[in-house]
Amino acid sequence: MAHADEAAVFNKDEAKVDWHDKALWFVRQKRDKSAHNVKGWENLRDLASAIKANVLSNLDGYLLQFEENAQKNGVTVHWAADAEEHNKIVHSILAKHDVKKVVKSKSMLTEECHLNPYLESHDIEVIDTDLGERIVQLAQEPPSHIVLPAIHKRKEEVDVLFQEHLGTKPCNGDPQYLTSEARKHLRDKFLKADAAITGVNFAVADTGGFVVCTNEGNADMGAHLAKVHIACMGMEKLIPQEKHLGVFLRLLARSATGQPITTYSSHFNKPEPGKEMHIVIVDNGRTEQLSREDFRASLHCIRCGACMNTCPIYRRSGGHSYKATIPGPIGSILSPGIDLKKHSSLPFASTLCGSCSDVCPVKINIHEQLYKWRQVIVKDVPQPVVKKTVLKIAGSVLANSKMYSFVGKSSRFMLKHAPRFLIYSKLNAWGKARDLPEVKNENFDEWYKKRKKNE
Amino acid sequence: MKVGLFIPCYINQLYPQVGIATLEVLEKLGVEVVYPTGQTCCGQPLGNSGYEDDSKGICQLFVENFKEFDYIVGPSGSCVYHVKKHFDILEQTEEVIRVRKNTYELCQFIYEVLGKTDLGASFPYKVGIHKSCHGLRGLRLGSCSERMDDHYSTEESLLKEVKGLELKTLNRVDECCGFGGTFSVFEEAISVKMGKDRIQDHLDSDVEVVTGADHSCLMHLEGLINRNKQPLKVMHIAEILNSSI
Amino acid sequence: MSRESILKAVKKNKPESLPLPEIDLSFFEEEINLVETFIDNLKFVGGQAIQLNAIEAMDAEIKKLYPKASKIVSCVKESTLGTISINKDTEPHGLEDIDLAIIKGELAVAENGAIWIAESDFTIRALPFITNDLILIVEKKDIYLHLHHVYEAISKRERTFGVFISGPSKTADIEQCLVVGAHGAMSLTVFIV
Repeated sequence: MAHADEAAVFNKDEAKVDWHDKALWFVRQKRDKSAHNVKGWENLRDLASAIKANVLSNLDGYLLQFEENAQKNGVTVHWAADAEEHNKIVHSILAKHDVKKVVKSKSMLTEECHLNPYLESHDIEVIDTDLGERIVQLAQEPPSHIVLPAIHKRKEEVDVLFQEHLGTKPCNGDPQYLTSEARKHLRDKFLKADAAITGVNFAVADTGGFVVCTNEGNADMGAHLAKVHIACMGMEKLIPQEKHLGVFLRLLARSATGQPITTYSSHFNKPEPGKEMHIVIVDNGRTEQLSREDFRASLHCIRCGACMNTCPIYRRSGGHSYKATIPGPIGSILSPGIDLKKHSSLPFASTLCGSCSDVCPVKINIHEQLYKWRQVIVKDVPQPVVKKTVLKIAGSVLANSKMYSFVGKSSRFMLKHAPRFLIYSKLNAWGKARDLPEVKNENFDEWYKKRKKNE
Repeated sequence: MKVGLFIPCYINQLYPQVGIATLEVLEKLGVEVVYPTGQTCCGQPLGNSGYEDDSKGICQLFVENFKEFDYIVGPSGSCVYHVKKHFDILEQTEEVIRVRKNTYELCQFIYEVLGKTDLGASFPYKVGIHKSCHGLRGLRLGSCSERMDDHYSTEESLLKEVKGLELKTLNRVDECCGFGGTFSVFEEAISVKMGKDRIQDHLDSDVEVVTGADHSCLMHLEGLINRNKQPLKVMHIAEILNSSI
Repeated sequence: MSRESILKAVKKNKPESLPLPEIDLSFFEEEINLVETFIDNLKFVGGQAIQLNAIEAMDAEIKKLYPKASKIVSCVKESTLGTISINKDTEPHGLEDIDLAIIKGELAVAENGAIWIAESDFTIRALPFITNDLILIVEKKDIYLHLHHVYEAISKRERTFGVFISGPSKTADIEQCLVVGAHGAMSLTVFIV
């Protein structure tokens, strides 16, 4: 289904739409307040954007530098061209250590690669340890937001889910109780895990280290208890030098949730003696996106989710309506690069209001890229005949003053004199919930001509 | 100074009173205004729908119609933004560059080019501004809530000088209304919901008249208000600036 | 291994080289009280700050704050409350029921209430996360305005593992309701000396 259809289904429950909208708007407001506290916020965004642009323009060099330094630190570096290779690499590391139980902290990359089902098909238990991710894992749903994976779920739903899977007592959705039960449940999983998988927020070329940010402490609980730590990263996560973390960590949490920094910003450089640390660098379409001049800047993304929280369409359609690993505005410019046909409705799921671009901490011109994708899509993906024909005819009519004048008059005549049932038919999506403008006796052209004559 | 009056197609056909108010306001300010009668549209509906290439003829016609003017002024932020931003599809001749550079949204022209704020208007009502997105984040008619810049607003600066007018502040000062051109029909459900939410914000803020510098947003809001028989009136900012009630 | 093909594709597809910008700190400098700002931000992120005139007063404070704590790991010589000693061979899983860990923070960040601690400060990487409650000690002179300064200050360190901690472990994953105590420490107390 196209985004519009999914969104229409979501909008059948208006109270839920209002609730979802307000929950995310609240996060956006927290972000505003937090950003206001930073002197030079806009300079910080400029810096972050310029650093990312530099990274992309020297990405091969930085990748090699990172690899060399990470290896010097005793970390094993792997390269995966696509999701399949990524999953195979992770599995082979786990198989070598005869791992049966894995704890995983949040990683949108492993979602993108569908790592969980792959490992489960090889009889490996994978437990998502971020509370939100655990909730959607139990519900057998994908995350609906990249920072707040279970934002679409009401607390009462979580209550029922936990009763079923964790054996909790009914609690009217008391978040305190549910969180404490999840803590116990997952504490046990941490203690028994053979390996931990984490994402990577930033990988630093000049030190070979990487940083993982969480509020819950789940990445650290996993990585420091298990014998094997596998960190999976998209290749665009690189930054040149450690001091650049100062720029990005100041922006990330403030943009994401309004916190001044995440509770834990963990800097991994070397494995503990007797343990293994692996990094899997993944391409999976990123080099292709790098080749597209108009869309390259989408690779600046640091996955803060601010564009989702601010997007009036995302807030009113829910993350699942996008049918993509990364929903919302940034997803709508990334996904078409991965599968243009499948995601062809996403760049149209926007009014091009531009709020996403102005909220983005790394200044991705998201709404401009949405516009650009639209131009690509109508050429490369078959379009509905009516839409296409209407717009093409409009193109020639509007390029011709006389024809325009004739069509303008006759349309107004139709609007004014055609029976209401015809104008407000099912074919008229405008008129379902909105009245058409009242038609005046003359248009501006005619008024102006009359006035000139009377001068 | 010779100004070419740019009346976007939907205003020409459906809202002539907005065009008239625009012309009269400019004339009151002592500007020599000419309305080139061959004008049609800026091409935005096609561009936003992905058919930018099919709109080249429209854009070229626009340039032909307006190339002789010192300034081109129109009462619709999104159309003006389209000319400035998306006429990059044309060959960038001197004429095209000049037209793109000299095209202004009405309020911006009054405030920035003419340097005026007080137009001698009076309008004794409680007014809420709908800050249309292309005007706000495209033309930067004001500071937007996402950026940490100092507050400014071209529309507010002009309305504050209108006698009797009481400017109301909304809860969400610059959220999109959900019009979005063809978005309004292809994403009908969300578009309508966004519009309803905007209207509710104006109602909650004790607004009597909703105004703005882009009548396409206002058309969408008005359609909802009329259908739902809500106690709000919708007027283009040019109509208010041209009032002497 | 796809290493070569990926690197080749990057080389082919990347844009022309763009300059790496310098970080101009003048944009971000502020004349503010570092200690006060740090304390405000620490509170905002759910931690509590206690100012001590002398480090000797610390143990009495800790006993008041955590009267029930019995399994205590102290990584600082200034506290004598430690009941469990650890070394680099300690099995981290064995620390599962620790009540309290006391660790010396190296640096603190006023703008976000975070404290930098490195592996050498706590020996076992899991300790600051697995402990039920966490105490960090910070010297006033080690509080910096923002992260830019801190990264410069830690640039010469031996890099193994280090972490910025800002408040206790928390989550808001259920309906955006903030709950303190997710997987890491349930509380964070910072002694400012």
